[in-house]
Amino acid sequence: MPLWFARGLRRGIVTTRYPARPDRSAAGLPTPPAFRAGVIDRRLADRLVAVCPSRALHRDGGVLVFDVGRCTACGRCQEAAPWAVTPSGEFELAGTSPAQFVKQIGLVQEVGQ
Amino acid sequence: MTALQPVPAGTLASLLTAIGSASVRDGGGAVTVPVPAARLETAVHHLAGAGARLADLFATDGDQVTLRLVWGLDTERQYLITETAIDDLEYPPLSDIAPAAFAEECEIYEQFGVRPAGGKPLNRVALPPHAGPDFPRLGHQPAQPPAEVHAPHTVAGQAFEFPFGPVRQVGVESLYYGLVTSGEEIVDLYLFTWHKHRGLEWRLRGHRPAEALFLAERAEGLSATAVAWSVAAAVESALGAEPPPAALLTRGIALELERLYNHAAAMAALCQSTGLSVGQAAAEIALERLLRVNAAVFGHRYLFGVVEAGGVRRGPDLAALQVGLPGGYGELRRAADALLATNSFMDRLEATGIVTTEQARRLGLVGPVARASGVAVDSRVDQPAAPYFGHPPAIAVRGTGDVLARFQVMLDEAAESVRLIGDLAAAGPGTGAAPLPGGGGAGLGWAESPRGEALAWVSLDADGRITRARLRPASVRNWRGFDDAARSQNVFTDIPIIEASFWLTVAGTAR
Amino acid sequence: MSGGSRARAVAASPAARAPEGDVLAARLRQRVASQFGRSLHIRTLDTGSCAVCEQEIRLLAAPHYDLHRLGFFFTPAPRHADLLLVTGPMIRAFDVAARKTYEAMPGPKLVVATGACALGGVYPADAFVYGAVGEILPVDVWIPGCPPSPLALLQGLLVAVDRLAEKVSGLTFTAGGDAEPPAREAER
Repeated sequence: MPLWFARGLRRGIVTTRYPARPDRSAAGLPTPPAFRAGVIDRRLADRLVAVCPSRALHRDGGVLVFDVGRCTACGRCQEAAPWAVTPSGEFELAGTSPAQFVKQIGLVQEVGQ
Repeated sequence: MTALQPVPAGTLASLLTAIGSASVRDGGGAVTVPVPAARLETAVHHLAGAGARLADLFATDGDQVTLRLVWGLDTERQYLITETAIDDLEYPPLSDIAPAAFAEECEIYEQFGVRPAGGKPLNRVALPPHAGPDFPRLGHQPAQPPAEVHAPHTVAGQAFEFPFGPVRQVGVESLYYGLVTSGEEIVDLYLFTWHKHRGLEWRLRGHRPAEALFLAERAEGLSATAVAWSVAAAVESALGAEPPPAALLTRGIALELERLYNHAAAMAALCQSTGLSVGQAAAEIALERLLRVNAAVFGHRYLFGVVEAGGVRRGPDLAALQVGLPGGYGELRRAADALLATNSFMDRLEATGIVTTEQARRLGLVGPVARASGVAVDSRVDQPAAPYFGHPPAIAVRGTGDVLARFQVMLDEAAESVRLIGDLAAAGPGTGAAPLPGGGGAGLGWAESPRGEALAWVSLDADGRITRARLRPASVRNWRGFDDAARSQNVFTDIPIIEASFWLTVAGTAR
Repeated sequence: MSGGSRARAVAASPAARAPEGDVLAARLRQRVASQFGRSLHIRTLDTGSCAVCEQEIRLLAAPHYDLHRLGFFFTPAPRHADLLLVTGPMIRAFDVAARKTYEAMPGPKLVVATGACALGGVYPADAFVYGAVGEILPVDVWIPGCPPSPLALLQGLLVAVDRLAEKVSGLTFTAGGDAEPPAREAER
């Protein structure tokens, strides 16, 4: 047992100070996407919906509906349209009601016209 | 349909003689031999007698049910698949000749309705008790429901059975044990996993490879790279796609990182099961550091999203690898050395949960469990393909087959993984994927997961959609060794220790 | 996002979806959470996960995260538990076991669903799975992720006991800027 005691003392403290202090290790982790509303039209929205493997996206008329709860941060939507979809950087995502996870992104009529 | 080049040799040649056929298909990752149903028993006798390892047995629906047996001809560096169309509802009993087949015979019965002749009772495997005729199956409902292996609360002679689970201790997967005991010693142990059956093989049908890999990674998330690799390789074999060498090097790095963190996690679980909290904490520090290395190098703590059909979706951040890996592995090594010097810990591991060499061979076990019992199977060496063909690992083997042997095998493998990662990283890994040709086909893929050989067999139609996907993570094979390990003169408190040393998952076997 | 209702004490009639119902539910949650603020016992429940969420949950007790410093403890006994931490897409064959575990916990109690599978992602509802934990259990807090990292889990647990405010409702997941798509994309 002295072996472990000495090792532990030498090792020091590795414990995070979260939530009192932010934790740098969160920076490396995948996060749900953020959508550039000004550059996504219905056609692109439909492509993004099709490429999501977790049914986190669907289109309701002129609105792209994003359910953050279903998102696995796999990055496929970002790969499909990197100019329109970027990592949000958000990982503190806990919610207290289902409605908090459903985000509406307004679509433009036609991009490039 | 005879392969002209090379001429069938070794076991393949003797098999063809034994069944009186010259028909062979080479391609799709394996050599395939169609075997008529009347010759199936002869074929199985012959292959089992020749020392071939029965790696998997599964069925495909169609006009008839087709049985495929996947044999590892490990010394001959190839897989052999026998393919048999079953006309009626019965086929020759295989598990008498090859005991490794019993669980699969049960699985085929409940999914396809065909069973081995002889009337031996078959157990429920994946489908829940209420699964009626409408419950999704890969084939047709069997005429008779499978037998229920049950655990009544009775005292019967010297032993009684009691059920444990599926909701068990904190932070572990749901798993149901039927424990047969005479009070303290374990007389028998059987497992139910149907409460974790997500029907992955059923779900994969109709998908293209890209969506299929998203689900395949999550079949056994702790072996995400390995299972995804086995499915991607099956697709590539089926369609004739060759991933770029740089992508294969990347896959190898990811797979070895997966092995490393799993072995660290197993070490932490071993410490927890023996009540050594300080050792557990040390192992968890190593584990957390290794997971952060994964995130830094590949963007995900558990390496999801690396493997893609045809190659890889992202390349490794070699700078982050160089910075993070030595420290992470150093923690693992120091914790392991301290554990090996702690007698109270070592005493719990020695002679616990013994799986004999004969049991490991008979049951077709794979991975560290088999290697610790003296069976030197390792698909990285037995089935050389890039990247391991150019960078062969040393296989870690021990003979005693107890928990200590498995722990030592894992430590040896961890050291070897670090060495391999260094070699692979220096050989020019990159990102990218070869385009997948059209046309459909069927193929076998494999990868050596931290738990052992993960196999997959995929058939695709002309549109590139999956018509049948067979997933066989290593857990499917190795849980059947757990009964034997638990039975060998162990007591209740040994069960978590043995379970940690196997380090399997319920998700991987229930799929 | 599919999911059940919180706080079954509120009448499960259409009236409960009205704003008054939400206010009542919020007040009840606050009273419940204030009792758990300093010390909380957590029971875990796997309804069909891929095993990775469980690994992240186990790491909550590891030195890097140490949930004990926040007054959180794991307990294997539902009878001693205040909070049920649930993973997986709620496989149908498991629903009775899930309900029994929940009912074995004495009130007041909280349910936290964690991981994309538990929140309706990955697996759609079908003959194998309900698709979300909320279909069988009354969920109080949802934690997204695949898997949710230990930090995300800590944030979720602290939200569940009202020691941190949830922030996801204020996030829009939109990015500003006038980035133009490449010309060839616009022509498609």
